[in-house]
Amino acid sequence: MAAGYVGFEITWSKDVFGGAPQAGSAEKFGTLGINFRARKAVNEEELTAALAALSCEVPIDGSEGAGA
Amino acid sequence: MSDAIREQPALDLGSLREAIKEEYSEVAANPQKGFHFHTGRPLAQMLEYAEEWLEGIPESSIESFAGTGNPFSLGELRLGERVVDVGCGAGIDSLIAAKKVGPDGRVIGVDMTPSMLEKARHAAHEAGLENVEFREGYAESLPVDEGWADVLISNGVLNLMPDKDTALQEMCRVLKSGGRLQIGDILVQKAVPESAKRKIDLWTG
Repeated sequence: MAAGYVGFEITWSKDVFGGAPQAGSAEKFGTLGINFRARKAVNEEELTAALAALSCEVPIDGSEGAGA
Repeated sequence: MSDAIREQPALDLGSLREAIKEEYSEVAANPQKGFHFHTGRPLAQMLEYAEEWLEGIPESSIESFAGTGNPFSLGELRLGERVVDVGCGAGIDSLIAAKKVGPDGRVIGVDMTPSMLEKARHAAHEAGLENVEFREGYAESLPVDEGWADVLISNGVLNLMPDKDTALQEMCRVLKSGGRLQIGDILVQKAVPESAKRKIDLWTG
């Protein structure tokens, strides 16, 4: 998203290393093959809106201010 | 032995690239050798490539296929579109894309391994596809003009790059506004220790 993309989505995953001729580190790390897609934002407004949608609001304790 | 002595040295990008080139040169030259990943037509079937996509694609290109996903499952390529294939290898995905976008479309395959590019160019010639070209280069600095591509595809390549942010930014640079990113790659479900990330043999195996 930070690179300028919107609409990131993983659509598929599968163990694509199991049974390979040589042993590797894939199983050790639980490695899956995946498909993912995204789209370059059409403009800054679209990107800003997408980033804003990702934001999380963190409750601020009233006894500590923003400057605490 | 102190922690400082046991610690792996920082990952050297040049050495990593050389190790990856060596590995994939072997996939180009000896695809039947047997690797820690699947290859060739059986892999394409596992990744749900349609048989019709492979029709007319030379076997020399298919045999060195080493992807981890299926970029074409993520959205249709339309006639006349421009496509960049990052880490094209022996060219299977570039050639499929070239068939899909037709003679009015264009495909640029980029790879850093010369022997793979040689196979890809030969396969394109054999398939009679004139709307595809192959360029040597790195994903972090693609030899493609800004805003050139409608679609960027890649398959099993991003995971081989230590600086994924830079690679994704570069992919974004060559895409038009609204352009599509369609990628097959890998996901690790267990945390990879920082020390392991500095071991080149783990990147290639």
